[in-house]
Amino acid sequence: MKINVVKNVLEVNDAAAAENRDLLDEAGVLAVNIISAPGSGKTSLLERTLPALGELASAVIVGDLQTSRDAERLGDKARAVTQVNTEGGCHLSAVQIASALGGLDLAGLDFMFIENVGNMVCPSGFDLGEHVRVAMLSTTEGDDKVAKYNTLFQPADVILLNKMDLLGVLDYDVSRVYDDLSRINTRAEVIEISAKTGEGIGRWIDWLKKAAAGK
Amino acid sequence: MHEMSIAVELVRQLESLAGANGIQRVESLAVQAGAMRGIVPEALDIAFASAGEGTVAEGAKLELEIVPAVAKCRLCGCQFEPSVDSYLCAGCNQADVDIIQGNEILLTSVTGLEKNEGRDTNED
Repeated sequence: MKINVVKNVLEVNDAAAAENRDLLDEAGVLAVNIISAPGSGKTSLLERTLPALGELASAVIVGDLQTSRDAERLGDKARAVTQVNTEGGCHLSAVQIASALGGLDLAGLDFMFIENVGNMVCPSGFDLGEHVRVAMLSTTEGDDKVAKYNTLFQPADVILLNKMDLLGVLDYDVSRVYDDLSRINTRAEVIEISAKTGEGIGRWIDWLKKAAAGK
Repeated sequence: MHEMSIAVELVRQLESLAGANGIQRVESLAVQAGAMRGIVPEALDIAFASAGEGTVAEGAKLELEIVPAVAKCRLCGCQFEPSVDSYLCAGCNQADVDIIQGNEILLTSVTGLEKNEGRDTNED
């Protein structure tokens, strides 16, 4: 027998994402999904960001294939840090976020940062219930990645170019990145930063505060 | 390898559909996947074969159709098919679009053997 149907294969993820967003909306929390390659500086970015937000309260959900190293680095900087081990899975899912949110007190929180699994492909296709999506590219990954990983950069609300302190050492032509972005995403604000030196972090914090105020 | 997440969800839906329709073994299924999903057909086949082991979907043939992406310019509303390295609206010269087609993954049909048909029944 043949059955004709039209079923969204990711309906479980998408329903959980919608519920997550509702829950975060009710609590007045801005959820920020940060996606980049492994080693591009997501945890370092949060180490800079959390103290720089001052009185604003944040929680972090960190996704990794294994270990709780990232959570340990961030543990004393946020109100709560939840490590999600995906046990080999290459992206976080909305169901995992729902489970993490279930163990958190959202009252009084301003930001929920979600540090996705380091990967420039898989996390892009999974809505977690975030309000804004951050795509980060560091200079060590090369200046040719925006067009190669267009599904990461096209839907991003803000694009962070990290490790700009290494510009002089690497063969990295930042104009090539802007040239690709001029065809892939002209909506997102692009912020050049160095999570190591703190360069550009002020502009990033301003962007976050504006996004939270506009929610 | 996000194909594994998709394969696991496919098997879950096939089990549910099979249960509701009295299907004991899924023979084939048709899936439409948007081009933005970046699905590698061979990777999905391998993931699906693995996820289906020991279920009604074991050995089923997955027919995958890739649906082209359609972008809608947020500024002028025009619709066009983007290329992998350009989402530029020709009229506005801006890449500020919503993807209105190309992100979906749909299960569109399932063919299977019903419980009282097929080779495993007591025919002798």
